[in-house]
Amino acid sequence: MIFNTFAYYLLFLLPAATLYRCSRDRVRPWIIAVFGCGFFLYFAYSMAGVWGALCLGIFLWESITSRLYKPGSRWCLLGLVQSLLLLGFFKYWNFFTGLLFWHHANPVRWQSAFLPLGISFFTFEFYHYAWDRRAGRTEQGTLAEYLAFILFFPTMVAGPIKRYQDFLPKLRAKPRDWSSDWEFGLTRILTGLAKKFAIADLMTAWTNHLNAHDIPFADRRMLLVWLFAYGVKIYADFSAYSDIAIGSARLFGIGVPENFDWPYGRRNIQRFWQCWHISLTRWLMDYVYIPLGGSRVAPVRIYINIMLVMLVSGLWHGAGLNFLIWGLWHGLLLALHRGWRKWRGEPSTRPLPVFASRVVTLIAVNAGWAFFCMDLHTVTLFYRRLLAV
Amino acid sequence: MFLRFRQSVEYLAGERDLAPPLLARIPAWLLRSAVWLLAIALIYAFCGQSSKFIYIDF
Repeated sequence: MIFNTFAYYLLFLLPAATLYRCSRDRVRPWIIAVFGCGFFLYFAYSMAGVWGALCLGIFLWESITSRLYKPGSRWCLLGLVQSLLLLGFFKYWNFFTGLLFWHHANPVRWQSAFLPLGISFFTFEFYHYAWDRRAGRTEQGTLAEYLAFILFFPTMVAGPIKRYQDFLPKLRAKPRDWSSDWEFGLTRILTGLAKKFAIADLMTAWTNHLNAHDIPFADRRMLLVWLFAYGVKIYADFSAYSDIAIGSARLFGIGVPENFDWPYGRRNIQRFWQCWHISLTRWLMDYVYIPLGGSRVAPVRIYINIMLVMLVSGLWHGAGLNFLIWGLWHGLLLALHRGWRKWRGEPSTRPLPVFASRVVTLIAVNAGWAFFCMDLHTVTLFYRRLLAV
Repeated sequence: MFLRFRQSVEYLAGERDLAPPLLARIPAWLLRSAVWLLAIALIYAFCGQSSKFIYIDF
């Protein structure tokens, strides 16, 4: 739950932000680090018990090894590998071993598997730091500053994904405009909460029907309503989460990246991804797409790179074949869009084609949500029923 | 027109610091109070059915 609990505001956000603003320069990063540890222990324990809370050790280990990262150093490669191994172990062990032993029961299945709180997000920040330190794109900072970066609890669990070189100057600057920061920060938090409760949670009543029991008996038109309701829900839910995270960070006087920029109704799938989960899109561009060669390689390779990036995006969202297909669907849409642009040149600015392209993009994105919210068996049932196949 | 609407929404939601021309004449405290009141009323009205944020499990 986290952002919609009283504990988050009363035990962590308000005391930490107040103390942070009243403290001296050298103490401020430690306040974030200490409250970040408390936040992780409290919520990880409530969600995954003692083992979940013990995963705080991952942060402490990472902060120790991060002191070895230097420009051009091999230790940075160790940082990259260890962050991916941890994510792979906790998130994908059962998925990949399940694929390996697909024809009979998985003998190495991890029965009591759990996901450490926020691992998908903090892994990206660990990876970014190791990569950028190796490339000499960011300074090391002190241990307290690095701990404050990785344990900054408003963004720890589900982003927005920060960059160390953006975060550090804000951490070092003395927060000044208390009244303005709190006015806008609290407004952002309240509107985020209202969005979550009044829109996202309201949509749950419809999206709950997207299951194998209800779909066979539903009117086909209702299937479309449920799917579009899920599109509204996931946008309202995640953008509300980002609003609260950004508003919370502002109470400290720290700005974090925006995550959404009115993504629905964009003209094409490329613009959609520039406006949806922006911090993830930028991360994938900088740490997957560009290292693969980006757009500076042969045309066929560009299309392969696009598909690979979206495959990674799909797999990152969840360890399941449905997420892989969701990623492939978006990769296919992006590749088609690129091919179309190459063939037809600049898009028309006449109202009708503009409107049509917005509608087509909206439908394509929402068609993809089916793979995001249902397992493969259910989504097959859904589309067979919807298309009367 | 959409741009003005968008700027107004972003300002009211606390995303934009500067008031757009459409709202510049109205006192900021009045707008802020109205937004807070509306948000608190919505939270109070709908808070009984709250569920986990989707991305927490990712």
